[in-house]
Amino acid sequence: MKKIIAIYGKGGIGKSSTASNIAAACAMNGKKVMLIGCDPKSDSSITLLGGKRIPTVLDVLREKKNVEKEDVIFEGFGGVKCMEVGGPEPGVGCAGRGIIVAIETLKKIYPEYLDNDLIIYDVPGDVVCGGFVAPIKKGFVNEVYVLTSGEYMPLYAANNICRGFNKIGMELGGIICNSRNADREKELAEEFSDRIGSKLIGYIPKDPLVQSCERDGFSVLEKAPDSEIAGVYKQLAEDLLANTDRVKATPLDDDALRELSKKYSD
Amino acid sequence: MTEKEKLIIHPRPSSIVASLYTLRDLNVDVAILHGPPGCSFKHARLLEEDRLRVLTSAMDENDFVFGGREKLERTIDKAIELFSPKTIALVGTCTSMIIGEELTDSAAYAPDGVDVICVETHAGYANNTDGVISVLEPAMECGMITAEELERQRRLLTEATNVEIRHGAASKGYLAPSRGDIKYKAAEKLIELIRSGKKIVGILNAKKETAYMFADELIALYETARLFGMEENITIFSNTDITLGLPRVKEHAVNVMKAFDEQSVPVHEIIGGLDEYAVTAGNVKDLILNKYGGFDVAVIAGVPHALPMEAFAGMELFSITNGPRQVAPLKDMGHQHVMVEIDLHPQTLGVTKIVPSEFGDTLRAVATDVMAAEIGEKK
Repeated sequence: MKKIIAIYGKGGIGKSSTASNIAAACAMNGKKVMLIGCDPKSDSSITLLGGKRIPTVLDVLREKKNVEKEDVIFEGFGGVKCMEVGGPEPGVGCAGRGIIVAIETLKKIYPEYLDNDLIIYDVPGDVVCGGFVAPIKKGFVNEVYVLTSGEYMPLYAANNICRGFNKIGMELGGIICNSRNADREKELAEEFSDRIGSKLIGYIPKDPLVQSCERDGFSVLEKAPDSEIAGVYKQLAEDLLANTDRVKATPLDDDALRELSKKYSD
Repeated sequence: MTEKEKLIIHPRPSSIVASLYTLRDLNVDVAILHGPPGCSFKHARLLEEDRLRVLTSAMDENDFVFGGREKLERTIDKAIELFSPKTIALVGTCTSMIIGEELTDSAAYAPDGVDVICVETHAGYANNTDGVISVLEPAMECGMITAEELERQRRLLTEATNVEIRHGAASKGYLAPSRGDIKYKAAEKLIELIRSGKKIVGILNAKKETAYMFADELIALYETARLFGMEENITIFSNTDITLGLPRVKEHAVNVMKAFDEQSVPVHEIIGGLDEYAVTAGNVKDLILNKYGGFDVAVIAGVPHALPMEAFAGMELFSITNGPRQVAPLKDMGHQHVMVEIDLHPQTLGVTKIVPSEFGDTLRAVATDVMAAEIGEKK
């Protein structure tokens, strides 16, 4: 089945790294992949493009009315098609509306984008307004994943995002833990996933190689394909492609979440 | 905004309103504007005279922050309770679209037996014709119109936009409104030309329901010519093809043609449908230059700026528009006499018969005076 997934999670938790490495792993596996970065920082695809930024949909729209596919969709590592939504300068305009406009533009200029085997939306931060669920509502997303670590605030955000999914009737594909070397992090992420009715679909150990590759403008799949961490991403990509489970999450209340976090920090 | 983009600073028709008029043409029963209560207020009220119920979800400051889905669904409930509609349209506004309200969620809320069409529109499109397309695309998806009709409408709307850019409301950065030439003076001049035996072509090139008044200009022209025994010199072209357009548009064409017939005004040529005012230029030019020829005068009612000046070389032009901002562009094109039917549109909503026009009545009155004066002189 065609996969159109969106990855949500607290800002800075590693969504772009995870998204681009999954995209690269799937592409290396012969899949047709598209990565759509929805962060105004427009850096989701940068490690698939040798560290280069591409013109964003909103930048091009601001300059001219008729955007063409060639203006905003670029092939990166492994043939992954990369598009960045872009956004206004901090403090002005409306980034959420920007996502809506960009997705409508994508449908017009590249209607066959649904022919890809895997489409990944990398969505910024928390689900702060209607525009940030546009990938789900207007981008035909059929699975959502939440990235967290074992630290309290990322868990809090993940729990909150699940609440948002329930509000819009979207079922959860699973939780991915991007380790920050918190205490008993994998166990905590597993219990959190279980308690909200879902499952931990992947655990990414902290590895300085990821940062190192990013600094050079590459995914680990491209720069260090035989590394241990590349193997983790490959496995995660396989598991995501094979995953058919979706559940209506049962988010924890604040006290329960705090207790859960404490349990693993003692 | 780039330096290349032209800044147009006079207010122009809104895409939301264009959506509402299109819903009316599709004979939708109720349109619910999902937005603040004042959005499109004036046109919403006018459309109620034209058999389209327009309601609002009345979003307020809280709904801007928290979303207004619950209010929209309560409004759907109320619409069903009050009007028992078969079809409801949920129409976006700037507010609801900016905050990412999902109209399809609320469409699913409506009970079985009520067809719901979701119109994702706002007033920020450069061309208000985008508002029409935002209705027609979902209308095609739910079987209200065919794919062929959608493509036909796209072609018409593209050309309508081009007409406005060339010689209409989008032709200049600022267009001052004007009431046009004095109708009494223009009527005197036209009567003088009629009586001197000039060959005159009267052209109705109107947009949809505005034809109910613009047709009266041509009826008055023909009646005036007949009063002076000169009706043989009058040739009438009309864009009232009864086979073309959305359901309501075809009804208008039938009604206008019936009115011409009742007034014994012959229509010599049908130049298109009532939604085809932007694409009749080729027909008009061909008829004048190749089939008829020899016209001295043209009286054009509706959208005169859509017709090509090369068709009217050497002719004296009397043009009647309903756009106060259309006077300057028409004068620039070379139309000698430009009259404005102020507030035409509100008067032509919800009617099925001809609405008397100010210039038409002026023409009739002046002609009657001229005739009475001549009879008096003879006595």
